[in-house]
Amino acid sequence: MKKTTMLMQGLAAATLLSGSLHAQTLNILVEGGGEMQQQAIADAFTAETGVEVNFTVVPYAGVFERLSTEIASGRSNFDLATIDVVWNAYFAPYLDPIDDLFTDEVLADLPLALVEDARVDGRYIGMPAWANAEILFYRTDLFEDPAEQAAFRDEYGYDLAPPTNWDEFRDVAVFFTRDTTGDGRTDLYGTDVKGAFSEEWMAHVLQAGSPGVILDDDNNVIIDNDEHVAALEFYVGLHCEYQVSPGGVLETGWAEAQNLFNQGNTAMMRFWGHAYKQIPEDAVVAGNVGAAPMIAGEAGIAAIPGPWYNVIPSTSAQKELAREFIAFAIANNHLGIDSPLGLAATNSAYERYATEPGNEHYFPLMETLGANATRGRPLHEDFQEIVDEAVLPALQEALECRRAPADILSDARRWVEDIL
Amino acid sequence: MRNNAFSSRQIGLSLAALAIVVVYALPYIYLVSTSLKPASQVLQIPPSFWPQTVTLENYTRILGTATVPGSFANSVIVALTSTFLALVLAVPAAYGASFFRVRLSIYFMMFALITRMVPTVSLGVPLFTILKDVGLLDTHLGLILAHTTISLPLAVWLMSAFFESIPRELEEAARMDGCNRFQSFFLVVLPLVSSGMAIAALFCFIASWNEFLFALLLTADQAKTTPIVIAEFRTAYGLDWGPMTALATLYSLPVILITLLLQKQIIGGLTFGAVKG
Repeated sequence: MKKTTMLMQGLAAATLLSGSLHAQTLNILVEGGGEMQQQAIADAFTAETGVEVNFTVVPYAGVFERLSTEIASGRSNFDLATIDVVWNAYFAPYLDPIDDLFTDEVLADLPLALVEDARVDGRYIGMPAWANAEILFYRTDLFEDPAEQAAFRDEYGYDLAPPTNWDEFRDVAVFFTRDTTGDGRTDLYGTDVKGAFSEEWMAHVLQAGSPGVILDDDNNVIIDNDEHVAALEFYVGLHCEYQVSPGGVLETGWAEAQNLFNQGNTAMMRFWGHAYKQIPEDAVVAGNVGAAPMIAGEAGIAAIPGPWYNVIPSTSAQKELAREFIAFAIANNHLGIDSPLGLAATNSAYERYATEPGNEHYFPLMETLGANATRGRPLHEDFQEIVDEAVLPALQEALECRRAPADILSDARRWVEDIL
Repeated sequence: MRNNAFSSRQIGLSLAALAIVVVYALPYIYLVSTSLKPASQVLQIPPSFWPQTVTLENYTRILGTATVPGSFANSVIVALTSTFLALVLAVPAAYGASFFRVRLSIYFMMFALITRMVPTVSLGVPLFTILKDVGLLDTHLGLILAHTTISLPLAVWLMSAFFESIPRELEEAARMDGCNRFQSFFLVVLPLVSSGMAIAALFCFIASWNEFLFALLLTADQAKTTPIVIAEFRTAYGLDWGPMTALATLYSLPVILITLLLQKQIIGGLTFGAVKG
């Protein structure tokens, strides 16, 4: 009788436990598009644990606003959030550390730059969910044209190929800048120059060998060091001196540059790797696009990574479950590859799919992300303000071609110091 | 001769008005035009104002998106209900404040004005905390209450201006004819401010329809409104102009429709009291 009672109690407890487990839901805050990047991982997590995963999708800037509000209120609806690396430093004091999830196996599978961006004030506060970086896109119909190859060799004395360094990039850009219709107006440009964002110039700063962009590891201002100046001279030189980019550089941002390339107006484009999969079928360049690692400077290949991190807000109500998801997500990072952006964070995830047709950009992306000189933006809570108030205005002034880059960066240094 | 001169003046004024309307409407026309362009033309350089090829692909894409119909329904429910709620509260409040001139009514009107001066963003965290405590986060009711806090002071001030224009003698006459306070309010005063109510309703509706911040902070999946979905087309790596402009165009249609339907009342309201005296 006693045994029967215990058995019944056990069954009831198991039923209740099972019911509660099935009812468990993990709530994740994510940017629009980010849910697609992690949906396959979430589905596999549900299949393995029985825990439902609910993504709350908000606009890009909404992630910051929403998470700030939840943290300020002291209570959160979200057990986990997927945030842009640019917010890591700001939110770090309000996030739970996840040092133990960075096992040797995980660390060995992640590009170093992503690991460094995950660590703020000596503790890991986020696990990379997916990562991106600028690589080089080029038109294969131009680069593989025998007539173009011969003409290039005649003019420059070496073979036409996707450029690997600043000098080659400038040569190829100058070579392809031309009037193709004979109406006296240039309609094909070597590349674009983006004046609406500063990440591309920052990538060149790292290529030049600077120990950091704008700030060094000790938060000293280095915006006017030799490498920053050299990178700015190279970058604005493409527009001001060599005129290898279409006009309107100050208004040229990511979308505009992408469209110029897709329309066949530029022969090369430095752009985020995911764009390789997003070339419209009716684009002029569709089917004729190649991908190569980002170009190199004195310090080699370098780019500014654009990773997103899974973080656990200190207000999370289900921290253990969130940790379980983070561990599962990084172990199954390859599942995100089938999303529209087609991005992952781990080397093994990219390697797994890199040889498949349509994924030709994965090896260049891996090489760029894993390059020694590639590193993230400074993890300083005021960095975005520094970019908005000092860096971008300096870049735009330089692109007006009136003052020397060194003088402009010298002035910018004072702005940055004021902000700090 | 004089008629001709008058006609020329009229034509000139009409052309000037048309030019102003065209300039004012240009961004909207460009929005609609962009929504009809294929992906390759949306950011064409140099840009073209009109689509070289007209396509509905952006519309079919957004209508096939799971979140769009639901968010549209949420916007309708929240905007209509918060407008109704604001008017139900604002009309008697404004009537009381205008017709019963006591010190308290002046304080009340000043307080209503002050609430309009508080930056909306500063209310985000307190509202979030309150709605979370009472379990109204991500619900229609929660967002309706939040939107009503925005539109109620506006409606009170608008309606009080209309009530001020009603001669007190009209109500007194109704009372002398046997109406009680409620009857004189509903049968005599209220019909006279119907155009004012139309204007207040329109402003409240538009305020809720386009509201972004509270919708972002207080909703998640169940009560998300369309302005949030429109903003989701901007991501860290770019902006999907085609679908975004298509959804923005569709989303603007109800407001345009309502404005046209209430056109008579709005014009009546705007000119209310213009020839008084």
